[in-house]
Amino acid sequence: MQDLVLFVLLGLGAGSVIAGIALAVVITYRGSGIINLAIGAISMVAAYAFWALRSDFFGITLATVPAIVVVMLSSILVGVVSELLVFRPLRTSSPLAKLVASLGILLTLQATMLLWFGSASKQIPNVFPDDILQIFDTSIPANRFWMAAVVVVISLAVGAVYRWTRFGLATRAASENEVFAMLAGLSPNQLSMVNTLLASALAGAMGIIAAPLAQADSTTLVLFIVPALAAALFAGFTSLPIAVIAGFGIGIGQSLMFYASTLSWFPTEQGGNPLPGTQALLTFVLLVVALSLRGASLPTRGELVEKRLPEAPRPKHLARSAAVFGAIGVVLLVVLPFGYRQALMLSLIGMVLCLSLVVITGFVGQVSLAQVALAGVAGFVVSHMIVDAGIGFPWGPIAGSIAGVVVGLIVGASALRVRGVSLAVVTLAGVVAIEQFGFASKRWGAGSAGSPVEQPSLLGFDLGTTASYRGLDGKLPSPVLGFVFLACVIALCLLVAQIRRSVLGQQMLAVRANERAAAAAGINVARVKITAYAISSFIAGTAGWMYAYNFGSVSAARFGFLIALAFVAFAYIGGITMVSGAVIGGLVATEGLVPHFFQELLGISGNWTLLVGGLILIVTVIQNPEGVAGTTYRKRQASKRAKAAADVATETMARAGES
Amino acid sequence: MTTVLSARGVSVSFGGVHAVVDVDLDVEPGQLVGLIGPNGAGKTTFVDAISGFVPHRGTVTLDGVDITGSSPHSRARRGLSRTWQAIELFDDLTVRENLTVAAQHPSTLATLKELFARPIPLSQGIDEALEAFALEELADATPTELTQGQRKLVGVARALAARPKCLCLDEPAAGLDAHESVAFGRHLREIVDRGTPTLLIDHDMGLVLGISDHVVVLEFGQVIADGTPGEVRSDPSVVAAYLGSAADELTAAD
Repeated sequence: MQDLVLFVLLGLGAGSVIAGIALAVVITYRGSGIINLAIGAISMVAAYAFWALRSDFFGITLATVPAIVVVMLSSILVGVVSELLVFRPLRTSSPLAKLVASLGILLTLQATMLLWFGSASKQIPNVFPDDILQIFDTSIPANRFWMAAVVVVISLAVGAVYRWTRFGLATRAASENEVFAMLAGLSPNQLSMVNTLLASALAGAMGIIAAPLAQADSTTLVLFIVPALAAALFAGFTSLPIAVIAGFGIGIGQSLMFYASTLSWFPTEQGGNPLPGTQALLTFVLLVVALSLRGASLPTRGELVEKRLPEAPRPKHLARSAAVFGAIGVVLLVVLPFGYRQALMLSLIGMVLCLSLVVITGFVGQVSLAQVALAGVAGFVVSHMIVDAGIGFPWGPIAGSIAGVVVGLIVGASALRVRGVSLAVVTLAGVVAIEQFGFASKRWGAGSAGSPVEQPSLLGFDLGTTASYRGLDGKLPSPVLGFVFLACVIALCLLVAQIRRSVLGQQMLAVRANERAAAAAGINVARVKITAYAISSFIAGTAGWMYAYNFGSVSAARFGFLIALAFVAFAYIGGITMVSGAVIGGLVATEGLVPHFFQELLGISGNWTLLVGGLILIVTVIQNPEGVAGTTYRKRQASKRAKAAADVATETMARAGES
Repeated sequence: MTTVLSARGVSVSFGGVHAVVDVDLDVEPGQLVGLIGPNGAGKTTFVDAISGFVPHRGTVTLDGVDITGSSPHSRARRGLSRTWQAIELFDDLTVRENLTVAAQHPSTLATLKELFARPIPLSQGIDEALEAFALEELADATPTELTQGQRKLVGVARALAARPKCLCLDEPAAGLDAHESVAFGRHLREIVDRGTPTLLIDHDMGLVLGISDHVVVLEFGQVIADGTPGEVRSDPSVVAAYLGSAADELTAAD
């Protein structure tokens, strides 16, 4: 009983930070309809800044209060700059474009902090007294209560602002119907800006008060965005009090789960340690249950411009494109030096992951962030098949892909009634749960190390990276595995192109456009979605075992939550509705051909790559809100139309001349 | 011959508001039935109910089969096609593809065959529906390239392409000019005469009374008149419900 109370009270700490960030998430969404993944990253910036100002990093040391003021101002500055430079130009783009842009901000901030302050984590200076309180015969640090008190007071103040000021009224009006709010003379840009100010100040404050729990490093506070998004989703991205209560609830729940894991009945894995990741699993399960009870569609904002995904044109000349692509691929695999060859092979894998997103997000409009996790499931199955059961190529990969489909169907079925951005949040929680509970577990995954994968061979032919044929430069990896990958990519590209041309693909696009009208046209919406999840998971699973063979091992790090987000970004930038977009997405994916080229050309590496990647991501989204492939397609269509018009004009003139 | 569409005692309530109360309505083979009523009379709610989009009490049978508990998509596949007041075309698909998804419902096996081997032969209903509204030339355009009037016609053609047993049209002529409206009425009458019984909901009294075989009038969710266009036109309660501009329209339609 004492222990129970102790862990409930300890949970107040994490609960405060989650609640505060959740509040910032809801404020941002109400102000501008943006789900900002970078809010946790603003807290991170604040934590670093607070440490720097209090420890002579910039050559001066400020007292606590002036330091807090400067930190809050710099948090606000980060928020305002991202609002002006990133979100405002994207005001009329699809929610997915904004999500991708916010990921770009997150990565940019992460890289900047690492470059500026180095990779060693910093101790955030404590702002609270170090007292220990005696409650129910247990000792609890007073700072947990201080943290909770700060967040509760801020929440009440924010609540009062929205309830009783004209600005609050205007925000509520705009979040219900932007068009009517504009007609009433309210400027959505101004409202969005003020809300951003509030949210970034709040996020900054969380970076300061998190001192007892977290250090200033590049991930801890950034990752608080996941439980905070869950809390915001409980609140329907609308209700401030529910978001705060849910935030505290999640923090306390996780603390209790930690307590449970210290008890003797708690399931353990090899080595007698409790199963890892049960806290993430708890958040995910709670979210799915809450959403299925409530039937979760976010309140839609009556918006001026209807924001749709880019169009998905019918692909043409399949055989020709496949032949050209295949020929270029074979030549490159043979000719390129080993570094580029490896990058090309990783690009081929990236293309497969992007293709899986083309099916589920591009065709059906379901923003699933779970595809990388599904790839991981397949990768680990391949590894366990060979290690535990001695089953290798091709049965291992087949089993891996099937496992991907099974898990994908579970995710799909639990999210059938969830759509749009809510789905993105649920699948994000799912990714974290699969990563921490599944991949990081010694029982199902690989623990903190990797799990080995034997190289594939078929009928005595070595198909792996160490096959005897080594390309022109004679170095590892062998192009043979690349040929296998190339064949897979071509086959899957053709499959996805065929889907777009088939009645099934047209049904998917009908569902994407309008679920109600699709049902009225006799389309079984649930069946189409489930089919799409199955196909897309199969493709993601294929990418998973390709990774496994490419690296000769699988590890949790390769299928983590930031990588899952990054792939949505690559797929979106390439063009998430087109097969050619997936090819571009693969080329620009992490460690792929284009980044490798820049790395060689500019001689940059590590965190500089991360920084450049983040900035390029933001610029590309703003320049091509429809993705590179989409923009190219549109330009070509426009020039075709102009040419046709010119032809008609010449013809008419010629006729006029004759008569 | 069995009644094509038969609604018995259909009622819909939203909270305490009774939007549709105990409505009986039949569409017989070869008939064009008009459903009219002032704004807010519950016409669209009635269509939402029989097509399965809002929960309702009462029974709906299609060609003698009870479809009361079925989901919207299975009602559509059994032959009850509807259109929407707001048209609701699939903007990502071409006109022909819009019609295709309504007309073709391939099995899993047929889909696999289509993906790996040969295309599914397109249903004749698609070409017939395009022809019925002279839309052949627009078959490869996307809905965003069309005029409002053309979009309306594509909406109706999409419902027709499924070769339904009964067609339900929710305000298909709203937004058409007088000339287009007359042409639309002529097309519609031809479709009914070629064998597709239709329930037509519209504000345009002239259109509905001019081409329907039978007219049902709703007011405040209840049926206040039910008969041939002639009977309805002279019904005192209808005249009362339409006092004012609409009453003039009624007489003008004579």
